[in-house]
Amino acid sequence: MGGYWGTQARDEHTSMHSTQHRSAITMLAPATGLIGVFILLPMLLTIWLSFQSWSTQTGFETATFVGIQNFIDIFASNSVGRDFKAALVNTAIYTVLSVAIILPLSVLLGLLVHQKLAPGGVFLRTVLFSTYMVPMIAVALVFSKLYSPTEGPLNQILGWIGIPPQTWLSSPQTALVSIVLLNVWQQVGYFTVLAVAGLTQIPDSLYEAARIDGANPVQRFFAITLPLLGNTLLFSAVICIINAVQVFEPVALITQGGPVNATNVLTFHIRRVGIERAQGGLGSAMAVTLMLALIVAIAALFAFARSREGKTQ
Amino acid sequence: MTATTVPAADRRVLARPRHRATPVQALLVLAIIAAAVIAAFPLAWMILTSLKTPQETMQVPPVWLPASPNLDAYAQVSDVVSLGRSFWNSAIIALTTTAAIIVTSLMAGYAFAKYEFRYKEALFGLLIATMFLPPIVTLIPLYRITGYLGLNASLAGVVVPNLANAFGIFLMRQFIKGVPDELIEAARVDGASELRVLFQIVAPAVMPAIAALVLFAFVYHWNSYLWPLTVLQGNAEQYPIVISLSRLLSYNRGAMNTGLVMAGATLAVLPPVLLFVILQRFFVDSVVASGVKG
Repeated sequence: MGGYWGTQARDEHTSMHSTQHRSAITMLAPATGLIGVFILLPMLLTIWLSFQSWSTQTGFETATFVGIQNFIDIFASNSVGRDFKAALVNTAIYTVLSVAIILPLSVLLGLLVHQKLAPGGVFLRTVLFSTYMVPMIAVALVFSKLYSPTEGPLNQILGWIGIPPQTWLSSPQTALVSIVLLNVWQQVGYFTVLAVAGLTQIPDSLYEAARIDGANPVQRFFAITLPLLGNTLLFSAVICIINAVQVFEPVALITQGGPVNATNVLTFHIRRVGIERAQGGLGSAMAVTLMLALIVAIAALFAFARSREGKTQ
Repeated sequence: MTATTVPAADRRVLARPRHRATPVQALLVLAIIAAAVIAAFPLAWMILTSLKTPQETMQVPPVWLPASPNLDAYAQVSDVVSLGRSFWNSAIIALTTTAAIIVTSLMAGYAFAKYEFRYKEALFGLLIATMFLPPIVTLIPLYRITGYLGLNASLAGVVVPNLANAFGIFLMRQFIKGVPDELIEAARVDGASELRVLFQIVAPAVMPAIAALVLFAFVYHWNSYLWPLTVLQGNAEQYPIVISLSRLLSYNRGAMNTGLVMAGATLAVLPPVLLFVILQRFFVDSVVASGVKG
């Protein structure tokens, strides 16, 4: 630290650099140290542990190298493998459904917030975004009551418009989708704000020009709005995917992964195996597999976005 | 649909009841109301149910409005779980992590925004990459590490691993970049140390970003569930409100008093939502900054 302007004897340029170097170390030490010890080190340990047989209740020194046995086990056809593969598939379905519902909805709601024709846009943004502040555990509690087949209001409302009562969380066919809907309700406000930010970046002159050319609002949406929202949607999709694989509270609180494994998702399953059953090696192999799946999914998303960009230009 | 951008004169028309709104405007207003009602419905149901009698919460078909709203559920909820204690724990967790995140993020963000040093881009990339890492990936070894440090089953175990985060560093770097170098140079000429420059000159200049980070960090750590549940190892004394809430539900399974659960949920929701209402302007700006400039 200390002002480098005081060190007049030395060449100003070198002095500035060495002082900046020292200051940089001071400024970066707390954050880098904490992130290093509590995120980067555990990340490396997860990879190392995925090749070990290790009980989470013992020290790291008790780990014994087993090669890729953990990965063979979690993809085997016994119960360990079956449960993990079910969790992997459930998480994939959950993630795809979340992205497929949240992204279009966020653009639609974003247009409602952004438009200047009618009042109420900012009010809607506030209401939508406030749901994002609600603890997921409270969301899960409230929705478990809303979804209640007899005492819940959702089946009652469906009844008014002639739709038969749904099983929601209590049947394997509908439980996972019910959790997706709860997730959509909580998160869509955040993605709407992102969509509005993207919409704000599109210059009005483009719309003026299209209108002069006689394009109707639907044509303008597909010719201008959607292509120019590309980067926003890509960013939203990445965040949405990363949020989706973290789904935990509704499963831990309401369904415990059931009925019949229908809502057993990876964050819940990895914690159950790695912490509750203390099978640290197996749990770490699952965590590494999740990480690899995420990297592949996001890389594919970027490749898809780039190929589309190539086509439109 | 006649126009996408409307001059201010047209907007004034809406405020005057004499002029009729166009069908498009009416449709838009209806859509906005419908979206707002759907978004607010679960929270409204939560609050309404917390005011019902136990009989009303079990009625089939459900009753929407309590006949005589009462606060009995709020009075009872503390008998079931130690709510005051849980609130205190949540406050400690959220406030200490938030304060520390502001300081560590300002320091690192300042270095990344205003210094030149070797491996700057590489280090920044490495730290930012952790923003995209789902916490479950590091949960198992982290639990062992906090065990080694003697932090398990204590509030310190909840707090210490969360004193710095990549999003905060990223946000601060984005905003500190916009602080004029002349301002910083002037303070240095006056002999201020770098820490003084940061906290007395730079920090006041990025107050909106700090407000946004306060809200982000507080809400995230008030609501956080997975890590406290893991590191506290069933030590109920140290449970934050969100974990006490989940215990309320298992109690509720026997007693069948939904009102109690909803009263607890309403109380837990209040601090983050109130903070959002106070600071929402800054939060929206920061989401926009992280999305667009990112």
